[in-house]
Amino acid sequence: MLKVSITKTFNHFNLDTDFSIANGITGIIGPSGCGKSVTLQCIAGLKTPDLGEIVLDQQPFFHANKRINVKTKDRNVGYVFQHYALFPHLTVHQNIAYGLKYGKKSEKKEKVARMLKKVQLIGYENHYPNQLSGGQQQRVALARTLITEPALLLLDEPFSALDHHVKHLLEQELLTIIKQHYSGVVLLVTHDMEEAYRLCDHVLIYDKGRIVQAGEKKEVFNKPVNVTAATIIGCKNLYPIDSLNITEDETTCIIKGIQLNVLEKPLKKQPSYIGIHAGTIQFIEKTVQVENSFDFKIVDIVTGIHQTSITVQVNAIFIKATIPSSQIDLIKSENLSVYLPPEQLFFLNK
Amino acid sequence: MADINLFPLFLSLRVAATATLLAILIGIPIAYYLNKSNGKLADFFDTLLTLPIVLPPTVLGYYLLVLLGRQSTLGRFLEDTFNLTIVFTPTGAIIAALVVSIPFLIKSARSAFANVDPTFLKAARVLGRSEMNIFFSIILPLAWRGVAAGITLAFARALGDFGTTLMVAGSIPNETMTMPIAIYDALLAGNRDLANILVVIMTTVSIGVLYILNRLEKKGSRERK
Repeated sequence: MLKVSITKTFNHFNLDTDFSIANGITGIIGPSGCGKSVTLQCIAGLKTPDLGEIVLDQQPFFHANKRINVKTKDRNVGYVFQHYALFPHLTVHQNIAYGLKYGKKSEKKEKVARMLKKVQLIGYENHYPNQLSGGQQQRVALARTLITEPALLLLDEPFSALDHHVKHLLEQELLTIIKQHYSGVVLLVTHDMEEAYRLCDHVLIYDKGRIVQAGEKKEVFNKPVNVTAATIIGCKNLYPIDSLNITEDETTCIIKGIQLNVLEKPLKKQPSYIGIHAGTIQFIEKTVQVENSFDFKIVDIVTGIHQTSITVQVNAIFIKATIPSSQIDLIKSENLSVYLPPEQLFFLNK
Repeated sequence: MADINLFPLFLSLRVAATATLLAILIGIPIAYYLNKSNGKLADFFDTLLTLPIVLPPTVLGYYLLVLLGRQSTLGRFLEDTFNLTIVFTPTGAIIAALVVSIPFLIKSARSAFANVDPTFLKAARVLGRSEMNIFFSIILPLAWRGVAAGITLAFARALGDFGTTLMVAGSIPNETMTMPIAIYDALLAGNRDLANILVVIMTTVSIGVLYILNRLEKKGSRERK
């Protein structure tokens, strides 16, 4: 259990964050410069917060009022840096052994050997970091960290330095290694929602030094609380609501002359926006007469290998949808309507 | 030919070696401190340490005489407590060589330290190492090329010093007369042959020493490019 409640001001930037996270992988997502890396550095003690406290399992790392500030070297935190920061003048073996302080030489050697086996790098003991591929470097960085049996594992954009085609592979690899050999709190910083969704259990969405939303990943993804959160998780269809009509049986809202039925009942506050993820939009036969289906005009098509992004226009609104690339000809055939499923629409605030 | 006095050569080598050793012991911690702090005091120190590069050697020698001479407080203190006379002794020559050479070492080492990626230091801290330990295990090996270049430069400067050494240590034959001064002395006395021989020896020895230091630098730098 990690509890962080800190503020820090530097270079006209203000970080003000407050969260508690349990064991398992938690992702911090946000645009670059939103304070996610600074948060990690404060937890590791590489930067000192102005105010607040950082507590890991009842053990305080930092407490501004009690003047507690445990040195980085005594925090026993594992930190995998963005570009791994492997020591270039040391071999793989020496890099991994670097964090081992105590014990006999033979014990250390055995520990390193066991760790090399875990990360499948046997035979690379005497290689230097620049002789390794990106994925191997990442595994060395992880091994170097895990061998110290850290109380907390921090991963700072661990995949940003990798080629796209190996990224997915390594994500799975990293996930497997961590799940098999580590049971504590893992905090992963990324700017990629997809990556966070694949790797994490919980997510914290950051913007301009503050937490916008926190929670279980599916919940956050399906129900962003406001426009900022929705934009960061990659929701492309967000519309301001012109009028909202709630009755016993149904909820409808009007956006630029289009009436939409929504399954969800808005809670407390009057929501000002409605949104839908591009992937949940469907195209159906015109002959099927259902609510929320409209004639459309194709504005733009961006064809990818597997997925195609298509922008369609209905009256004055633009709707972005993602469909399998194989269905693109079907959609062009003009016998279809665009369908926004009522259960996929969600209300949110500005 | 047979009666060439090689004392100046050995004195020069001894003086330069001792001065370089002292420069390493004093200069590297100073370079480390200057690189770490960026306060006004560090800037002041930096300027003060650059001064010996800019000042004419005679001016530098004059300052050292004023500071360490037998009439000065410091000079008398050293003489009374440690029985150490600086002026017109080999010790004076060492001090002079040290002062003229240490700025080169500090400058080189400081910029080499500054070139070490701070992420490596962060990584080492997170892995539980102390600052002292990080200096020897990460900073020094990674900055070794720059530091070695500084040591080489300092040694070369110490070996070749003329003006400051002459001011502080004088040119007492078989006592404080270093190689550069001996060459000047030979030329002044019209002994062209001796001057030629001394110059050739000096050049050979200098090249030899620089070659050895260069080899050491390459050996010490284990960083794979």
